[in-house]
Amino acid sequence: MVGFSMQPYGIQSMLKEGHRHLSGLDEAVLKNIEACKQLSQITRTSYGPNGMNKMVINHLDKLFVTNDAGTIVNELEVQHPAAKLLVLAAKAQQEEIGDGANLTISFAGELLQGAEELIRMGIHPSEIVTGYTKAINKTIELLEELLEEGSENMDVRNKDEVILRMRSAVASKQFGLEDILCPLIAEGCIQVCPKNPANFNVDNVRVAKLLGGGLLNCSIVQGMVLKSDAVGTIKKTEKAKVAVFVSGVDTTATETKGTVLIHSAEQLENYAKTEEAKVEELIKAVAESGAKVIVSGGSVGEMALHFCERYKLMVLKISSKFELRRFCRTTGAVAMLKLGQPNPDDLGHVDSVSVEEIGGARVTVVRNEEGGNSVSTVVLRGSTDSILDDLERAVDDGVNTYKAMCRDSRFVPGAAATEIELARRLKEFSFKETGLDQYAIAKFAESFEMIPNTLAENAGLNAMEIISSLYAEHASGNTKVGIDLEEGACKDVSIMNIWDLYVTKLFALKFAADAACTVLRVDQIIMAKPAGGPRRGQQPAGMDED
Amino acid sequence: MSIRVLNPNAEVLNKSAALHMNINAAKGLQDVLKTNLGPTGTIKMLVGGAGDIKLTKDGNTLLKEMQIQNPTAIMIARTAVAQDDTSGDGTTTTVLFIGELMKQSERYIDEGMHPRVLVDGFEIAKRAVLQFLEKFKTPVVIGNEPDKEILKMVARTTLRTKLYESLADQLTDIVANAVICIRKPEEPIDLFMVEIMHMRHKFDVDTQLIEGLVLDHGSRHPDMKRRAENCHILTCNVSLEYEKSEINAGFFYSSAEQREAMVAAERRSVDERVQKIIDLKNKVCAGNDNNFVIINQKGIDPPSLDLLARAGIIALRRAKRRNMERLVLACGGEAVNSVDDLTEDSLGWAGLVYEHVLGEDKYTFVENVKHPHSCTILIKGPNDHTIAQIKDAVRDGLRAVKNTIEDESVVLGAGAFEVAARQYLVNDVKKTVQGRAQLGVQAFADALLIVPKTLAENSGLDTQDVIISLTGEHDNGNVVGLNQHTGEAIDPQMEGIFDNYSVKRQIINSGPVIASQLLLVDEAIRAGRNMRKPT
Repeated sequence: MVGFSMQPYGIQSMLKEGHRHLSGLDEAVLKNIEACKQLSQITRTSYGPNGMNKMVINHLDKLFVTNDAGTIVNELEVQHPAAKLLVLAAKAQQEEIGDGANLTISFAGELLQGAEELIRMGIHPSEIVTGYTKAINKTIELLEELLEEGSENMDVRNKDEVILRMRSAVASKQFGLEDILCPLIAEGCIQVCPKNPANFNVDNVRVAKLLGGGLLNCSIVQGMVLKSDAVGTIKKTEKAKVAVFVSGVDTTATETKGTVLIHSAEQLENYAKTEEAKVEELIKAVAESGAKVIVSGGSVGEMALHFCERYKLMVLKISSKFELRRFCRTTGAVAMLKLGQPNPDDLGHVDSVSVEEIGGARVTVVRNEEGGNSVSTVVLRGSTDSILDDLERAVDDGVNTYKAMCRDSRFVPGAAATEIELARRLKEFSFKETGLDQYAIAKFAESFEMIPNTLAENAGLNAMEIISSLYAEHASGNTKVGIDLEEGACKDVSIMNIWDLYVTKLFALKFAADAACTVLRVDQIIMAKPAGGPRRGQQPAGMDED
Repeated sequence: MSIRVLNPNAEVLNKSAALHMNINAAKGLQDVLKTNLGPTGTIKMLVGGAGDIKLTKDGNTLLKEMQIQNPTAIMIARTAVAQDDTSGDGTTTTVLFIGELMKQSERYIDEGMHPRVLVDGFEIAKRAVLQFLEKFKTPVVIGNEPDKEILKMVARTTLRTKLYESLADQLTDIVANAVICIRKPEEPIDLFMVEIMHMRHKFDVDTQLIEGLVLDHGSRHPDMKRRAENCHILTCNVSLEYEKSEINAGFFYSSAEQREAMVAAERRSVDERVQKIIDLKNKVCAGNDNNFVIINQKGIDPPSLDLLARAGIIALRRAKRRNMERLVLACGGEAVNSVDDLTEDSLGWAGLVYEHVLGEDKYTFVENVKHPHSCTILIKGPNDHTIAQIKDAVRDGLRAVKNTIEDESVVLGAGAFEVAARQYLVNDVKKTVQGRAQLGVQAFADALLIVPKTLAENSGLDTQDVIISLTGEHDNGNVVGLNQHTGEAIDPQMEGIFDNYSVKRQIINSGPVIASQLLLVDEAIRAGRNMRKPT
């Protein structure tokens, strides 16, 4: 009778075994804040150009060495529900803009830390939420005032202007290398920029990672780099027409299962002959249409290959559907379903196709410089896989920034100049508020100091000194003064040329404030028993033991 | 005990122990849901077995996700879910009301009163309150052109209890317009005709109403247009892909030519069907630059897609069945099941069809339709839990608007009805009741006050103060509700706070029934082997 009659009072007794229920200020809100703070501590040290790298080993034992917050939190597999909210915000930022994930997490963490202090002072979380909401709305207004004049007009095809806007994003991932990487990325992006820049597709800038060499060997290819060899013996063609076939280059087959019906020996002989004749006919038709290169989306039959060689056709095999589509975009070809004589309109054009050996790997370089401005590839060289991965992430960020600037080219001063100015103006705003939320607004303003603080700390500078001198400069009207991390002094950003994109900042701050408010709004957590399945995250057989 | 003789393993609780178990369970559940009520209620975070996060304020969602095990609590939760099924809102209130009825009864039972007498009182009070509700409700004239303002007010009242204010206000318009859009005079409203689509994109405040349809897939051919204006829409359910014969068939051939002929023959019937569609396209689009869109419920295989693409037709395959119905309502025309007798009359029309790509997902928008009787609420949000939250809220909002149109009346909210009903019970009804059942009426009346009480509590106000000032005002003949920000009395009519009539009715109806059942339990028996884990 035990358990049935001695029902404990409350929710706990009513739930299935294994459920956990956390409620109230201490148990839920403060715990949540604590978890989020922990998470932001992790990413914070990676913030900015001098940020430290993290070594993350995920559950598949893959090693990541990066300071890209998006990757770090992705691989961390955060379990705590509240911290997960922050991760989700960072992911949203990553999807929306492709950069600024670290800002989102660090800022949200800072906001929550501020909220914790306020809660300890006795302010109810709901008041903090209203205060923070007011503050973020004001921040958005203020941010617009801080826009650099004239930045809304930009020529997205002007390399210098693109680099100007891209630099800070790339520099925060690969400090010191931005002067090499930015021109590469910018060139790649500009090449594929369509007539209407708003339709810029990130997918059109490809990255090919090839082990070996060094950063200085990185280059840009107008066209594609396929990581495979040509199928036949012809390895190089120039100024050729291309025919693309989605299905394999082989004999045709029926959907229904077919059986060859043979009664006599001649028939057998004839069958093989007709088969051969048929394939030859098909290949011949392709060759006669003027095509010199055949691209197959499926298998390439032995017999077909033989005839291709005979008719001097170069054969490429691209098995990925998406890669094939990109190839079509590069060459302007229309993919045909069945092997046969292509229409002249369906043929594409390449300037050159050649198999090259770079760093021990055979790659096929497809170049299309004339008019084919649809796909470009950044060839990255580096000595290890993890360096290449990290470079790729920097390139991704750069390309995403390009996409963002195509839509909205406005920018604000970087190097923490904007943040200090926001902090200053928001503080003034908080003095004008009458309700309890003024404390929350003031905290929100203070949270902005986290950014110069972290930048300075990561660069090994004295953060307090820097912040106070920044405030002093800004108070005297120099609103564009930021930190020069190399000299450890405050300088006008227009001299240093550090600008951040407005949209990146806007979305990052909004997502951060949103996530922080959501965490604060929760006052009860009900956790189900974790589902079964193999336990992950078991200690991988002792790192230091062997 | 007799049951012990019958089954020595059975567990029995009798008399007061059983009753107290029920009361405790009801109170426990009430405690959990209490903080949810009203616009100032707090959010609960539910973490599922797989670590997925759900944030909610909606009582119904919460009860569904919580996996309750206590038998009494399950009973109450079921009533609440039934409440949601019939009226779409008021789940939290139902649970609170039942809990409070039990709590009030506990007092009297501890004083030695028999539950049966209380239950009699409940019954009398319930009937009286239902009569009172008929008098109290505010009739709304719906007619052909419903008063949008009142619909919005009802929607706003519901939505604000589920989401934060600025988002709720935005959704209010969307929800009201959506219901007006799909409403046909003289026909019951079918809320399924509002498609709810979500995109993980931008912010929650970017949620919008689209008069037309959003499909969550795109065309599968790279050469089809991504954007087309002035489109004829063909809604069909015709297979445009090669199908293997049912019987086990095989081909026999003895030369490559024969095989080629087989390959061609195999596809002929499919190609013919495609050709018929292309013919129709050429007929309607000849001499103008209109476009042609096919939305097919069945599949279209790559060769057919290729043919269609070459003819300049945009083709979407494997549309959802429910969308076929909605498409016809939105664009006009009719859904065809065969291409044999295609006519222009079966075509629908849309001013704009375009594709939106979001990461890996494609969405097709069919917009600018002529007389939409179907529309889409496109929910946007930066992450899944926000979207789920909005989705639940939108559903409740739609139900609230629909209820208003169907009830043709609303009830003053903000606790005004509860206080008024309570005063009516105490001042008028109680005196007409003979004997001890009076106490049941009193308990019922006091239990009603849980709504304003909880509202006040969640806003951080003093419960006693609020109740006294509200009842005072009501005794003076003013119908007032509670202002959540100041704790003062307000006129809900002025503030535009209205609840659904059917929601209130359902609460008053179901609450006492379940409470009576629980009170009348005098023995709880748990028997059978699978009830508990082996110990």
